[in-house]
Amino acid sequence: MNSPEQNPEKGCVNQLTDIKGFLNRFYIFSGAPSGVVGLFAYLARQEEYAKGMLIMEEGERCDRIFLIMSGQVDIYQYHDERRFHLQLLSCDSINYFGELALLAEFNWFFSARAWTDVILLSISREAFSKVMEKYPESYQSMVQKIISSRIHRFVDQSSYLLDHIAPEAWQEDPPETSG
Amino acid sequence: MKKSAVDTGTRITERSLFYWILRRHRSMQLFLLLIILVSLFFKVFPLEMQKRIINEAIYLKDIELLYLYCGLYIGAVTIAGLLKYAINVLQVYIGQKILLEMREELYQHVLQLPLQFYRKMQPGTVISAMTAELNAIGFFLGGAIAIPVTSVLTFFVFIGFMFNLNPVLALLSIGVYPVELFVIPYLQKKYNRLNSRRVKTTRAMANVVNESISGIHEIHGNTSYSLEEKKLSSFIRQLYDLMKRLFVVKYGIKFANNFFQSLGPFVLFLVGGYMAINGQFTLGALVAFLSAYEKVYDPWKELIEYYQGYQDAQIRYRQIMAIFDLDPPHILLPLNRDVLALQGDISLKNVTFTVPSGVRLLEDISLDIKANEQIALVGYSGSGKSTLALLIAQLYDVSQGNISIDGHLIDELCKMDMGRNVAMIAQQPFIFSGTIAENLLYGVQAVSGGDGFPDRRRILGVIGDVGLQDDIIRFGLQAVLSPEECRPFRDKFLRMREIIQTTLRAEFEQAIEFYDVTKYLYYSSIRDNLVFGDSINREFVVERLPEHPRFVELLRELNLEKPLMTLGFAIATQTINLLSDFKGDEFFFRDNPMEMGEFERYSDLLKRLKGPLPKEAEARKLLLILALRFIPKKHSIVNLPSAMEERILNARHYFQANVVNVAMEHCMKQSDGTPCNKDPRCGEQSGFIPFCPSQYLYTHTLLDNILFGAVKSEQTFDDHLRKLASEAFEDEELLDEVMHIGLDFEVGSKGDRLSGGQKQKLAIARAFLKDAPILIMDEATASLDDTSQARIQGLLEREFKGKKTIIAVIHRLDLTPAYDRIVVLKAGRIVEQGTYDELMKRKGAFYELTRAES
Repeated sequence: MNSPEQNPEKGCVNQLTDIKGFLNRFYIFSGAPSGVVGLFAYLARQEEYAKGMLIMEEGERCDRIFLIMSGQVDIYQYHDERRFHLQLLSCDSINYFGELALLAEFNWFFSARAWTDVILLSISREAFSKVMEKYPESYQSMVQKIISSRIHRFVDQSSYLLDHIAPEAWQEDPPETSG
Repeated sequence: MKKSAVDTGTRITERSLFYWILRRHRSMQLFLLLIILVSLFFKVFPLEMQKRIINEAIYLKDIELLYLYCGLYIGAVTIAGLLKYAINVLQVYIGQKILLEMREELYQHVLQLPLQFYRKMQPGTVISAMTAELNAIGFFLGGAIAIPVTSVLTFFVFIGFMFNLNPVLALLSIGVYPVELFVIPYLQKKYNRLNSRRVKTTRAMANVVNESISGIHEIHGNTSYSLEEKKLSSFIRQLYDLMKRLFVVKYGIKFANNFFQSLGPFVLFLVGGYMAINGQFTLGALVAFLSAYEKVYDPWKELIEYYQGYQDAQIRYRQIMAIFDLDPPHILLPLNRDVLALQGDISLKNVTFTVPSGVRLLEDISLDIKANEQIALVGYSGSGKSTLALLIAQLYDVSQGNISIDGHLIDELCKMDMGRNVAMIAQQPFIFSGTIAENLLYGVQAVSGGDGFPDRRRILGVIGDVGLQDDIIRFGLQAVLSPEECRPFRDKFLRMREIIQTTLRAEFEQAIEFYDVTKYLYYSSIRDNLVFGDSINREFVVERLPEHPRFVELLRELNLEKPLMTLGFAIATQTINLLSDFKGDEFFFRDNPMEMGEFERYSDLLKRLKGPLPKEAEARKLLLILALRFIPKKHSIVNLPSAMEERILNARHYFQANVVNVAMEHCMKQSDGTPCNKDPRCGEQSGFIPFCPSQYLYTHTLLDNILFGAVKSEQTFDDHLRKLASEAFEDEELLDEVMHIGLDFEVGSKGDRLSGGQKQKLAIARAFLKDAPILIMDEATASLDDTSQARIQGLLEREFKGKKTIIAVIHRLDLTPAYDRIVVLKAGRIVEQGTYDELMKRKGAFYELTRAES
């Protein structure tokens, strides 16, 4: 390990510090040891999308979580060949998506596109696994946070859909079954 | 009745070793003999001079005579030395020439041996025989005649000289030779026996190693290291034991030689000395006698070594020839007629095929296939369908019954008849090392001998037909082209760049940061930002720049050296601090200017350094390298201080103008790719190629050249963009050039650089290009994905229906409806045949098969 007095020039390193600060604001990373967040900051990739560009598409193999640094992202899904808007994410509200990709490999079940010009930070599942291998004590708490944030998002999206459902689709009880 | 592959003369494996020696390069061998004869005089002459120097010049104290004899002596010795040199060179030349012919003829014979031979034979044995063992024979071949002739003549000339000096002494000193004639051959026989066993053991050992390497996946998978080790260790021990005994005998022979050699001088000194003391022999004669004796032993020793070498070569030769001692089943070329052009009418009558162990794989098969009929051979595994296909392709020979094509018995057709008229695609085709193009044309080249090659349009057409086009384009795009390779297509490649830069600019700008001489490039390294180009001689690669005097001078002049070293120091410090627990994991270094293997070096450097500005040259170099590799938008380890961007941009322009002397005005003014041929400071002639729209960058891939910028992220440079570009290029017919480059892609040993699907498609394209009237496909599309399989099937129906006889061994029964007839095999017999509808209606064996599949 390097001696503590060997400090890099301050003017050169604030990018990593900035990203670390940015990550610390996220529920998933909050409370994680500084070393863990520092490694995620180092392994995170910045991605830029112009307005209208596809970020990821339903059916593609998932491999990373996206954190919104600036701009707005439209989350939508196709059903019966029609596009349904689910959520509009922005850097100042729910500002991440694809968090389940950190835990398992599956195909995206929704699509995302840049609603405005967008700057994203992404962390791959491979990076997540590599860091967690070294810090297994943080793994359980992070998994818990990912799942609870997913539940939170699910509730949010369900509320949105229920708010927009046609009145005739409302049913308080299950439909009668014949026979 | 089969005909021998060798029409006239002796089969190669039946020829004796001396067949090659006596029948090849006779004039050269005669010339060699002549030189040997001349050299004999110059060998004896110095001995006479020795005698005269002592007996005449020294005895008479005549200085002039001394000079004369010494001059003649040194002259004769020099000429003898030169002649010996010529003899050696000529011997090797003749030996290697004979070996070359022997190897070529033997290899031709080996390649034509039947497939059954290779089923029994281990590749290690064949490789060892064709290479190392033949090499050992080559050493013998060169001197096979020259050495015994030289030795015998030299021996008798010196003996004659000795008899001339003193017959009694001569008789006494050669008295030991007859004893040797008994001892040496006895030991030699023993040596031969051991040597023969050594060759066999070495071959067996080579086979075990060869098998282990070929099956290394299985060994790793089963963790069977010790099992394999045991297999080899028994051979290693046998070899060890043999080598011990071999060397005991070998050095025994050497001891016998040396002992007998020492007996001679003993007799000479005793008797010759006695005679000289008594005045019966002059001192000069004694000295000359001693020299002659020493010299007479050399040819004797050479003869003995020759005898040993002959025995060794003879054993090796016989063992090599014994391996391949069988006739190829079919002759290569037709006798007294042209190669046949067949229609593809195939008839099998009561065909039975039995393997040497006695198992019948096919029994009583009778089948008539009309020319241009498409037949599917189906059946359970082991039913004999592949064997039947191989028999029709003449790769196996029937045990009973017969097969004919267009009325010609297949046994009577030569290999070239079959090669011209039959194309075969195996389930696991073999891809040879070389380029894609060489593999594609392999079949055509073999039968046409270089004439009648398909033209480029046809080759590209077939590549498209089999679905290999995208792969070839990808290979082409990844190629780094030299100026010579690029020249014919340069303008077209620059046009492709122009399309991206102009027509598709809006779309590509999202994914590519284009080179622009006026802008700082955040997705390019600081090195690229500063140098903004490349020289073909790699003068400006990152690792050399910190030692480039003009470059370093520029950094100092523009006050960039210190900020860059500070940046390098920051990268090093951050990386060492952050990754000390991950220094062995390549993953963490993917987006870092420091490479994994450099971690310890930089770690040691930081321990030595007191600050970012060391005085030591090596430390400065290391820090500068990290800074020059730094890509701001890719390497998040540190960020680029904003003040540096402007300074780097200034340095770029200064560097172009003053270090590499390039006219950057051209880069700034023109963005349409117009070459700047008039200005000597612009273009290839300057030796430095800047990132200018008109310049092809020879140190970059073709893709880099077309994109002309750095990819922002692989995610944004997606299929949509690739498709857009591809369509635009195709509109202007520019993709053919990329494919042309892709065809030169080296596929690696056994095609290792290709995927399984690519290999299969390549083999299919290879067979299609041959354009033979009969196409045999042995589960040829089995390893392809559904889309590719459907594409090939569609092609067979569309292009070949009614034009080629097709026999396809098929596993997937959903492909069979397209065939004219389906032949169902079970346990080596045809149990059913008919069209798809007929067989399904019959609800017999085929119907059962389809049910089993579903």
